[in-house]
Amino acid sequence: MTPDRANTPPGDDRVVPVYAFTRGRTRSAGRDLPLEAVVTAAKANTRQGALLQSESLAIVTMCSRPLSLAEIGAALRVPVGVARVLVGDLVNAGYLVAHLPQHTTHAGGPTQAILGRLLDGLRAR
Amino acid sequence: MGSAHADLYPSRPPPPQPEIIPLKILVAGGFGVGKTTFVGSVSEITPLTTEEVMTSESVGVDDTTAVPDKTTTTVAMDFGRITVDEQLILYLFGTPGQHRFWFMWDELARGAVGAVVLVDLRRIDDCFAAVDYFESRRIPFVVGVNGFPGTAVFANDTVRDALALPTDCPLVRMDAREPRSCLDTLIALVEHALGRSTAA
Repeated sequence: MTPDRANTPPGDDRVVPVYAFTRGRTRSAGRDLPLEAVVTAAKANTRQGALLQSESLAIVTMCSRPLSLAEIGAALRVPVGVARVLVGDLVNAGYLVAHLPQHTTHAGGPTQAILGRLLDGLRAR
Repeated sequence: MGSAHADLYPSRPPPPQPEIIPLKILVAGGFGVGKTTFVGSVSEITPLTTEEVMTSESVGVDDTTAVPDKTTTTVAMDFGRITVDEQLILYLFGTPGQHRFWFMWDELARGAVGAVVLVDLRRIDDCFAAVDYFESRRIPFVVGVNGFPGTAVFANDTVRDALALPTDCPLVRMDAREPRSCLDTLIALVEHALGRSTAA
């Protein structure tokens, strides 16, 4: 997020249509990432970040810690669809590493092992 | 730049990037039932709002024969996050409350651990759409009866009957304002989901 935008109230301060950041594209060349897909910055590419447009650079910078697509959209105050395109491009270009949900059961939910760990983790809180 | 940063902590070299596994739980129920409160009670971040464009095949209600048979709607969702351990990150999504969007939950529900359906006993009808949805999709869910003050007391069996809940679906009394209560509700859900996956 750029500093001058950080202190303005959410909502109507944008003068550029949000999909201008994606050059009008609503689909990324990359995979369709779900809302909860987490991305982290790929360590090797920090230096090349200077070549990125500001929104993309902001994403790479904030992803020094794991963040979901939903969180990135909220931080940039753009719809998830916009964040999805930008993040998809950054994953394809090697700036970001995507961590996708692992669906394995017949119903498409997490595995028993993952659910067991989730349960342990929640009980320990 | 990245390596210079790492040099500041020579005793703790950064490990290779751990495989992070995102998980999600949906929080559903009628408008004003406490979904946002619930998410805020257990989230480690201030709940955020996001907008997602949802797509659905047209169900033929509107006369849109001249246009492709897809409809898209932008819906706002609240969400929060619980970092469970160094690998697991759990996201909670408050589903859009409007009934007419129920058929758009498929994208949101895909891969979910399950759902918490919040119920306000003063407006029990409001949660029918959510209960029907998760039951028909065989998505594990628990019903959380949010204890609004001044609510008449109903026995659990009465509530279960009114909602036509499956016998294995947990029903918990909770208070969306209380973090402990919300956490216990999530635990009940994960126990239920785990039981389902073991039985399957």
